[in-house]
Amino acid sequence: MALTPPPKGCMYLFDFATPPLKPGSYRMHASTDVTVQGKPQPLADDRFFDVVGPRFTLAPTEVAGVFPPRNGHGPFSEALPQIAIKRRTLPWERPLDDKKPVPAPSDGQGLPPSYPTPFLALLLFEEGEYTLLQGAPLENVVPKAVFQRLGSPQNILCDAVEADASLVDAIMPSKEELQLLTHVRWVNKDDRELSVEGSDGWFAIVMSNRLPSPGTKCRACLVSLEERSDLVPADPPAASVPVPGIQFGQFLQRDAGPSHKIAPRFLEASPHPSYSYVVGLQIAKTRLVLLHSWQFTSEGNGTFFDHMQGLDVGLLGKVDSHGQPVLADTAHLRISLKDRAGTDETAWYRGPLVPFELTRDPLGPYHSADQARRATPETGVEDVSYASAFEVGRLLAAADARLAQELMRWRRESYQQAARSGVLIAIQKEIKLDMPAALAEQLHTVLTPVVATAAIGEMVKGSGPIADRYGITTASKTPGMSAEAVKEAWGLGSLLEAQVLLGQTPATPGAEAPAIPQTKRPNVTLEAVASDGTSLQTLNAARDRILQGARIRGGG
Amino acid sequence: MRPAWITSKQTLQARMAMPSQVPAPTPEAGMPAYMESFLAHLRLLVGVPFEYLVPDSRMLPDESIRFFYIDRSWTDRLVDGAISVGKIGTREQAHHQGNHPLVRQQLDVTERGVRDLQRQTISFLDLRANPRLGAANTITGFVLRSGAVSGWPHMDVRAYTKVLPANYDPASKSATDAQLPLLRLERLSTGVLIALFEGIPEMVVCEEPHHGVQFGVHESGGVFSVFRRDSTAKAIGGTDITVPMRNVQRRVLGIAALRRKLKTDAALPAQTGSASFAIELLNLPWRQRFAGEGGKPKFTGTGAFVAGVAIAPRVTQADIQAAYKELGK
Repeated sequence: MALTPPPKGCMYLFDFATPPLKPGSYRMHASTDVTVQGKPQPLADDRFFDVVGPRFTLAPTEVAGVFPPRNGHGPFSEALPQIAIKRRTLPWERPLDDKKPVPAPSDGQGLPPSYPTPFLALLLFEEGEYTLLQGAPLENVVPKAVFQRLGSPQNILCDAVEADASLVDAIMPSKEELQLLTHVRWVNKDDRELSVEGSDGWFAIVMSNRLPSPGTKCRACLVSLEERSDLVPADPPAASVPVPGIQFGQFLQRDAGPSHKIAPRFLEASPHPSYSYVVGLQIAKTRLVLLHSWQFTSEGNGTFFDHMQGLDVGLLGKVDSHGQPVLADTAHLRISLKDRAGTDETAWYRGPLVPFELTRDPLGPYHSADQARRATPETGVEDVSYASAFEVGRLLAAADARLAQELMRWRRESYQQAARSGVLIAIQKEIKLDMPAALAEQLHTVLTPVVATAAIGEMVKGSGPIADRYGITTASKTPGMSAEAVKEAWGLGSLLEAQVLLGQTPATPGAEAPAIPQTKRPNVTLEAVASDGTSLQTLNAARDRILQGARIRGGG
Repeated sequence: MRPAWITSKQTLQARMAMPSQVPAPTPEAGMPAYMESFLAHLRLLVGVPFEYLVPDSRMLPDESIRFFYIDRSWTDRLVDGAISVGKIGTREQAHHQGNHPLVRQQLDVTERGVRDLQRQTISFLDLRANPRLGAANTITGFVLRSGAVSGWPHMDVRAYTKVLPANYDPASKSATDAQLPLLRLERLSTGVLIALFEGIPEMVVCEEPHHGVQFGVHESGGVFSVFRRDSTAKAIGGTDITVPMRNVQRRVLGIAALRRKLKTDAALPAQTGSASFAIELLNLPWRQRFAGEGGKPKFTGTGAFVAGVAIAPRVTQADIQAAYKELGK
């Protein structure tokens, strides 16, 4: 049957998840009882395999999460530390007390005998209560009897935690408690909040039974209790509900029974010679195989719930309770200050946080703090609220060098572009420029070609036809062409002489030449022309001359 | 020689006649990115000394929450003051005067993105390219001075325009539709939190951050107790169950003794093992509600534990149990 995972935000809890095969060495025996033609054909094979799992060390990758957070600081004094292990069967993979069973609780109220027992416990130690040992040989960590029950594995190095035996006895869960403190959780693996990356949604959870003391640094230690029936009791130490109102410290002194020995620390540590005779008194220590541990600091008091329920709720300026400052109806606070003459003055101040909605001042901008000072007509006292706002803003801005630069840049760029646009507007009053319609685009147009084109266009527009088309007038003004200059330069007798010399007619150069008068002739017939032999000869001769000339020019 | 296009006198006249210098659509008229961002932060009082916000510490005693409206005039003056840096003459004054409406309007838009900028989830240029337009709204908020701020720095703060039921789902449409944009949520010191919302909330919620599932007890005057929870981890009320502690002290819970105590309570799930036991030790996140009354945020503090997680407990459904057994095979 398919097992559907819980919906997001939901989880299933299970009491335990035992592995189908416990770690160990196995022999798989396969055989058949096939009979062929009445004769048995036995086929048998043996295969050996080991099921292994974490025993004396636990890879950090097996840990899905811890609470309180590793190296976290916070009010954890009411939280039970817990560790989530990715391998859901891990706590039940090793026996707690197979070879030397721990009996059931004497009151007969325990869990059924078939209920599996985990071999892991999460113990919480406070700073100073424990010592960590790294890479210790296993035989130095567990007592000899336990080492033998473990099967005397050789050359095993493991981490260990060492603490006073009395302390370990005081906090060690009983067998039944171990069973209660470990459970299996199944969450939707896509659930961002409950699951972790790369897991299948199943976790084994081991909880601690000890609460962190407020204001202490603690270490939670996941320890292996495999075959530690010497430590795990059947019945836990007696428990009762504390008497209300008595703090823990007091309680400790009053009620510390003989089962709890307060370790006199100086016995261990004092190097003072006068105490040397007691150094021989060794305090019994217990070592435990440490699989994983993390530290956190419990600070502060109370839970989120306590804090939130204890809050004094109100609008800012709630002044009804005793010892509150006097506020005006307008939420102004009377403050005393020194005015600029140095005399003491009382003024009203109201911060930006007010208990009612206010209309936004439509005036502005304000250019100085003085502009924002107000006097209240009712009391005649000055209201410096907005003036102080102005000053805070000014000081905050002045403290930021980059902002000052940016403000400058903001203005400078505006000014530069404004100057440019002013020039553009002035030019356009004079001449029409071929520019984009939007000013923003105009400002970014390269101006020189546009103005040049416009200026030339402007110059050309409206001028008449060109008088001196062939440049004769200009040419005639050169000194060499001027008859007068020639006459003077050459010392000629008259202007006419110079004109003749220059090949000029006395007429004004450029003047229109009159048409040459033509001889009037009567209409003639073809016969009359053909009979004029002299004329024909003349014409023929002229044609021959032209032909001759052309031939010579053409190179013969 | 041809006279200049424009005389200096005319220039000055033009400056004074058009104090904003260049009209709005020109890029040069806009604020540089850093300046705009700085001023938008100021609008939300980022960096303003706490004494200016709460001038008398007695106005915000220990373990108190105070709701407020933001005085827009105050923040406008703050911005005016910031712009006044380097304002040395009439030209700068005229420039500010001319640009003031534009600056104000622009900051009304930009201030909505300050939280994203603070969390560095968006760059300023992206923000400017995708502005959240619209007229400026009223800004409200609260300051909270409590041990809850230092202890739970990542508490979840949400504001709604209507009062939602105690166990509402924040992801549901009715909730997201009513949710007000959060403009700022910042710790001003280790114990003081400020939150700003855009709009006037009817209900504000402070929720304990969800760190997965936690176990624990509640302490009161040296006595530890747990809530009574049914098989789906819902608190069913009644007298809290006091937790026996080992007499040897050291803050060790009498786990076995507690189980015997739980067994006697018929309303609780049967104590058959670690799963049902774990349910009773659950510490669910607390959701504190502050609800207003008739538009006036006359907040009263009530709240509820939220089942950020629902427990299908120690499964009783026959099919899941059967399937689970199969899984073990």
